[in-house]
Amino acid sequence: MTPQTDAAPTNQRGKVRNKRQSLQAPERRAGYGMLTPSLLVIGAVTLFPILYSMWMSLNHISLTVNGFSMNFAGLQNYSLVIHSETFWHSVWFTFYFAVVTVFLELFLGMLIALAINGIDRLKNVSVVIMLIPWSLITVVSAQMWGYIYNGVYGVLNYLLQSLHLIGAPVTWLGTGTSAVMAMMVADIWKTTPFVVIIILAGLQMVPRDLYESAYLDGANAWHVFWSVTFPMVRGSIALAGLFRILQAFGMFDLPYVLTQGGPGTATESLSILGDRVMFQNLDFGPGSAVAVCTVILVLALSLVFLSAFRNLVREGESE
Amino acid sequence: MIEAKWKTIFRYVILIAFLVIILLPFYWMFITSFKTDFALGAYPPSLFPVHWTLQHYVEAFTKYGFGTYIRNSVVVSLVSTFLVLTFASMAGFSVAQLPVRGKTPLLVMFLVISMFPAIAIMSPLYMLLRHLNWLNSYQALIIPYTAFNLPFAIWILRNYFLQLPKALLEAARVDGASIFQSFYRIYLPLTTPGMFTAAVFTFVASWTEFFMALTFNQNNSMRTIPVGIALFSGQYTIPYGTIFAGSVVSIVPIILLTILFRKWIVSGLTSGAVKG
Repeated sequence: MTPQTDAAPTNQRGKVRNKRQSLQAPERRAGYGMLTPSLLVIGAVTLFPILYSMWMSLNHISLTVNGFSMNFAGLQNYSLVIHSETFWHSVWFTFYFAVVTVFLELFLGMLIALAINGIDRLKNVSVVIMLIPWSLITVVSAQMWGYIYNGVYGVLNYLLQSLHLIGAPVTWLGTGTSAVMAMMVADIWKTTPFVVIIILAGLQMVPRDLYESAYLDGANAWHVFWSVTFPMVRGSIALAGLFRILQAFGMFDLPYVLTQGGPGTATESLSILGDRVMFQNLDFGPGSAVAVCTVILVLALSLVFLSAFRNLVREGESE
Repeated sequence: MIEAKWKTIFRYVILIAFLVIILLPFYWMFITSFKTDFALGAYPPSLFPVHWTLQHYVEAFTKYGFGTYIRNSVVVSLVSTFLVLTFASMAGFSVAQLPVRGKTPLLVMFLVISMFPAIAIMSPLYMLLRHLNWLNSYQALIIPYTAFNLPFAIWILRNYFLQLPKALLEAARVDGASIFQSFYRIYLPLTTPGMFTAAVFTFVASWTEFFMALTFNQNNSMRTIPVGIALFSGQYTIPYGTIFAGSVVSIVPIILLTILFRKWIVSGLTSGAVKG
């Protein structure tokens, strides 16, 4: 999301500027007026609660009849959170789930987009089909996969048994490792089409004669990819990746329905943990601390991703 | 440059395989919703229903009150979409065409915040709604959905307003129109494609949202479709037939939207702002 520079003439001096300003005064007033409703709603529902979350995380909180009471607690909630194994397990699970799925989605998305780019037939049908998982309620997709993975009557076991890949039915959501992998598959299934659409749109901006001249210069497919294709789509990939990381870090719907965070706490993401601490145990202080830690981690990971991606781009260019 | 034939065939094979993998789980869900209770739990499962039944569709509406969930989802999603379009078109016009200071950093900050994990705002928002006695109400969802979808909608509409010449405003002002009239009568009709994009994204986001709907509206009578589908439960078994009947019903309007607004969705996904 690169901000474009706005063409507001602010650097004019002296009389010209004064005259312009007096002419612009009503426009400026109208401008602020028309922004106000949006500012109020966004401020009240996103900005203020985030700041208030930080404040709540520094307090002991107990619910009262119609509200709650707070006692300043300093960093006690954070100390509680940081010394809890459950929290670190959640951090680790959320982190590697996000990194692995986002990497695989970008990788698969790139491969599929490269393979199907240039197919002119079936275009409209393909786009609609690829958009369906994007617009699908995650809860529905989680229920769907839950039924497919079911250990007693799930169709996955049936298919794998028919292919002689497994001997006996497997309870996919019953053990930690297989539950995590099953969840990754469900996530990759739902999001890869979205990545393909974005990369495909980027690929279609690459002029065809660029490829032709590169091949005429004797470049091989790999070189053409790195020096022609990749630079043209890296913006789309970076944005898709950044967005997916932000989304994956807040993951809630999929584990809530598919595994309820289990077995044990194997698939307990930070949002599931925060939800459990706040809305089931009613520990709003420590819960807010978990929420604030989540925001800090997701911001850090986004920055790391962007700078790592920039380095990758530079390597590709220097090759 | 003409491609070797085997390469073209290979491309089609990949495309078809990809589309089939996307569609297979849907096929499974679809036929499951028409199977009898006995067939639902059978192993090995039948890959095509032997006896078709509408029993689960009837049950979803009569026994489980799925109609209420649909009504709640429709009200919340439509009102949120309407509010987002109203506020975002004004704000987008303002940032694109009027001299407002500090608008770009502000807009970028809002965009970033709107993509934070929802958990970051859950506890204060819950406390606030509880204090106002607004838990289990339409506004408990409409207000947050409006707020979270506004930044992206403003961004999309701003890009459309930026493409329109500033001279339009001057001309309208000379003719005696107020700034708001110029916005409403002249600029707004020219940004219809942007409005479509913003509308579809807001509607889909509100239709699919789960975390806030689950936390703020727990009463059965105020649940939205995702919460209903997540919490369907039988006494001894998971009522997959009913779950999938409800799911199929919830998917139909979204698929229609996708077919109708395909172009605007793709332009929204790729207009430099990626959001799903």
